[in-house]
Amino acid sequence: MAENTTKNKKSQKTPALWVFIALVIIGLATFIYGVTSPHPERAWHAYLINFLLWSGIAQGAVLFSTVMHMTKARWSGPLSGLSESFAAFFPLSFILFLVLFFGKTHIFPWLHEDLHGKEIWLNIPFLFTRDCIGLLILYILGFVYLYHALQLKLDPSQPQGKFRQSIVNARQRNPRNTEEIKNRMTVWGGLYILAFAVVLCLIGYDLVMSMDPHWISTLFGAYHFVKSFYVGLGALIILAAVIRLKQGNASALNASHFHDIGKLFFAFCLLWADFFYVQLMVIYYGNISEETHYVIARTMLAPWNTLAWTVFIVCFIGPFIILLNKRVKTKPILMVIICSAVIIGIWFEHLLLLGPALNHEARSIPLSISDGLISLGFLGLLAIAVKYFLHVFPEIIWAKESS
Amino acid sequence: MAFKRYIMGLFKDEDQVVSAIKELKTSSYKFIRVNMPFPSHKIMEVLNLKKSKVGWFTLGGGIFGLLAGFALAIYTATEWSLMVSGKPIVAYVPFVVVSFEATILCAVFGNILGLITQTRLPSYKGLKYYDPRCSGQYFGILATCATEQEDELKDFMQRQGGEVRIFDSME
Repeated sequence: MAENTTKNKKSQKTPALWVFIALVIIGLATFIYGVTSPHPERAWHAYLINFLLWSGIAQGAVLFSTVMHMTKARWSGPLSGLSESFAAFFPLSFILFLVLFFGKTHIFPWLHEDLHGKEIWLNIPFLFTRDCIGLLILYILGFVYLYHALQLKLDPSQPQGKFRQSIVNARQRNPRNTEEIKNRMTVWGGLYILAFAVVLCLIGYDLVMSMDPHWISTLFGAYHFVKSFYVGLGALIILAAVIRLKQGNASALNASHFHDIGKLFFAFCLLWADFFYVQLMVIYYGNISEETHYVIARTMLAPWNTLAWTVFIVCFIGPFIILLNKRVKTKPILMVIICSAVIIGIWFEHLLLLGPALNHEARSIPLSISDGLISLGFLGLLAIAVKYFLHVFPEIIWAKESS
Repeated sequence: MAFKRYIMGLFKDEDQVVSAIKELKTSSYKFIRVNMPFPSHKIMEVLNLKKSKVGWFTLGGGIFGLLAGFALAIYTATEWSLMVSGKPIVAYVPFVVVSFEATILCAVFGNILGLITQTRLPSYKGLKYYDPRCSGQYFGILATCATEQEDELKDFMQRQGGEVRIFDSME
């Protein structure tokens, strides 16, 4: 165990960290350059898409741990602890949301529109207040859950940092038996799951659906949180695969773990497509022009229709056919490729949902190299956060059981 | 005439079965099968069985169902056209529901068909050379060999820790 820790400490100084820092700097520079350019709205749109995607990944990945605890699942083994590391992105996500406030004139096309009575719900102060409170509640619940989960996992004899010390102290100051901590985890985990559903619905309605303020789909919120769990699982598989490839058999992650989480990923691939279809079906049958225009603009008219098919193939048809195979699911390197493709696909799916409302009269899909660079910046932020968490709490990689 | 008989070793312990099978496979005796009172992963691993083909039946059934579902919906829609608010008669979006259900139904049928054909059911005769204790508390390893080796094989089973039962091939 001690050997592993020193090994882990060393790995912290690998070039990977510098690469991530470079990515963040590149992303930040591109974003600042974009905001000060004559078309600041382009940078803000990329920012919004990335905020939604990467926050969704972090929230969805932590959801995995709570769900595993609530269902008393044992198959997930070290994966469940690993998923908790994504919580390190929560504070960053919250700050990123606050930054969104400065771009409000560029990302809310309804600001100066006549909303026919919807201004009670769609106005800047109320929108930011409720979303801030929502995210705050979600993140606090996540951290309280984590606080209890870590109490069970931390090894007090290991070298201490400030965070670790406070958790170990809390355990010693108020010694509870394992059962009681588990019960508390159940309560907080359950609250996190509820908050996840409610808050992500809210984010979905406020930051995605409201871009087209006259269009409504009651299922949109649920669609948004299912999507977040889908990409969250994808990111978790990528992290697990990277650790597996780096540490080999020392990581306690074996082929059956990858097989099992691959199956869950496969299931959520289906569920995502199902939620997409269920919404489409209702709109199709209803055939009300207020509702259909949203779908027609995105799936039938150029330039968005090609993007719509690309997203559908990359996020559903492709993974569905590939993941039918059992062997593919047990191969970490293949799963990294598939999950990365899905995450990129969901990035484009956000562009597809937001794009037509934000770029009226677009002749081609508004996409440039700066969008990619800003996305890389966000990727770097998430990676640094996760790496930091794994550095402070190296035990979670070896933790056999979280429940 | 070489009078070939079948010899069954009856074991109570799973690990003994595993080691017995391992040695049997490398020996000159012919391993035939093992009867288990419950499915055992350890034993399955040693047996090194070929991958089951049932999955392909399920997949085939599923693909058939997908196409059949669409075909059914398209056929009924063209045969008895119902005009609904300007929608096309062959409307693919709602037909997905029909074909989805048909996919699942036919995949299940394919699965059952695969299961029946792959396990060679129905079988009315029952297993030959079977000891009913194998559905109780014993694992039974069935093996055979040349007549002159019979005593060796019996010894081998006993050494591995099993009881021996001999079936005459006329039985």
